[in-house]
Amino acid sequence: MAKTYSAGVKEYRETYWMPEYTPKETDILACFKITPQEGVPREEVAAAVAAESSTGTWTTVWTDLLTDLDYYKGRAYAIEDVPGDDTCYYAFVAYPIDLFEEGSVVNILTSLVGNVFGFKALRALRLEDIRFPVAYVMTCNGPPQGIQVERDLLNKYGRPMLGCTIKPKLGLSAKNYGRACYEGLRGGLDFTKDDENVNSQPFMRWRHRFDFVMEAIHKAEAETGERKGHYLNVTAPTSDEMMKRAEYAKEIGAPIIMHDYLTGGLSANTQLAQWCQDNGMLLHIHRAMHAVLDRNPHHGIHFRVLTKVLRLSGGDHLHSGTVVGKLEGDRDATLGWIDIMRDSYIKEDRSRGIFFDQDWGSMPGVIPVASGGIHVWHMPALVSIFGDDSVLQFGGGTLGHPWGNAAGAAANRVAVEACVEARNSGVELEKEGKDILTNAAKHSPELKIAMETWKEIKFEFDTVDKIDVAHK
Amino acid sequence: MARPDKYVGLNNEVNGGMTTIGKIIRDARVFGLIGETETCEGWNFAGVDGLLDKVNKEWDKYGCLVSNLPPELFEKHQSIHGQAIEDAKAAGWCGEAETDDEK
Repeated sequence: MAKTYSAGVKEYRETYWMPEYTPKETDILACFKITPQEGVPREEVAAAVAAESSTGTWTTVWTDLLTDLDYYKGRAYAIEDVPGDDTCYYAFVAYPIDLFEEGSVVNILTSLVGNVFGFKALRALRLEDIRFPVAYVMTCNGPPQGIQVERDLLNKYGRPMLGCTIKPKLGLSAKNYGRACYEGLRGGLDFTKDDENVNSQPFMRWRHRFDFVMEAIHKAEAETGERKGHYLNVTAPTSDEMMKRAEYAKEIGAPIIMHDYLTGGLSANTQLAQWCQDNGMLLHIHRAMHAVLDRNPHHGIHFRVLTKVLRLSGGDHLHSGTVVGKLEGDRDATLGWIDIMRDSYIKEDRSRGIFFDQDWGSMPGVIPVASGGIHVWHMPALVSIFGDDSVLQFGGGTLGHPWGNAAGAAANRVAVEACVEARNSGVELEKEGKDILTNAAKHSPELKIAMETWKEIKFEFDTVDKIDVAHK
Repeated sequence: MARPDKYVGLNNEVNGGMTTIGKIIRDARVFGLIGETETCEGWNFAGVDGLLDKVNKEWDKYGCLVSNLPPELFEKHQSIHGQAIEDAKAAGWCGEAETDDEK
């Protein structure tokens, strides 16, 4: 019998709560942390989230008849308690892969974190994790080059790479900015970096900055015999302008450019990443605005989701948090999303906040960038935590050296090489860190002064967002 | 607030003199570009910028690194910068301030 239109309101759970459903390998799976309004049954809210993030409306409308709702709908298939917090619970939703356009994280987020986040039956909602099936992963372009290709391009192996953000607070003209880059690179850094909010302001237009920075790179490369790079920030008001800046960076020989993927937007980021892949360029990604989305433990989008979205959209580096130092970062959770950036296959591990197995197929990895509030005393822990496939980025910990930028860079380079050498010979870095650095400083006055400038300080502040307690 | 058109002088600097201009002046003393008691008080910024240019040219001879300086300059650098660090610490400066605004 043909379907007929019938008006009226019905409960979501009648259509979208399917506890008997077994997710398919090709489904996109999501885990939401739901804080409901009082008095609304769990199953109804979970079903409402599944509906409002997929095909649901309050009433059956005639357009439902044009598509197969039973095929395309999201299915809430499980509910779990949140350990240590009875104000909320986890709901697991499965979405059929064909609900989304291929290769479009934009389309997926528009559904999963779209209107549903303003839904009245919810007091708060947080997207904790997404499982992207490998069938969907393979439709995305992903990182332009990947970890191994980056190492080959830059001829850098067997140690973390070192970077430093050049701060405009120094009151720099483009020429002096280039000089600061040169000093850092000459002193031993692999990369310098534009601040995320340096685009093309009146005090320093992008083209001048690019020109002077490239001069610095060429000079440092000639003197050190090493490949050097600077993350030229091509983030711009329009994607056309962004591409213009990227093209110019390529034209003058820059090996790497940079994008603010959240403020710049995911469409622009995906476009840029694909262009980088086509043109042999590396792409550094800054995450400005992430804390707006990921810091509240009850509302928003967890950073592990933003990490997965970036790997699909495309980027070779992504800021990850530092674990040590003065900035926010739960160690277990951070290690979880570092694995999400780099590994091919990540097992579900609730102790690190990972809700699903994630198979990346042959998609290349992203290099985590530890940046902010760190200095030379943190080096042993950073090398131990992040391993070789990482960028350790010391801003104030380089430029704040009393002898200047080159000295700060040299101190960090000597320290990282000493730590890697010790680790490779079986020394426990975090236990023996002080001795390792002290011995290395005997041959490096720059490191000695850095160690006297920054002290071994423990930061005791608790993190705001941490793994739900009973999982520990 | 109007931007000052004269430099306050190294002895009147913030952070006990641990600033970009403070370092330029100390390095200029090391390389003998100015006298060891010159604080550059009252200099305009073109003057400081010109001094920076000269300091950079000197550093270029040694790859920007203190450990590359010849013994005599190295000792002079140790003496001038060592005293400056002590003075800055006495004035309340510490290295942690250098990473305070990072994110």
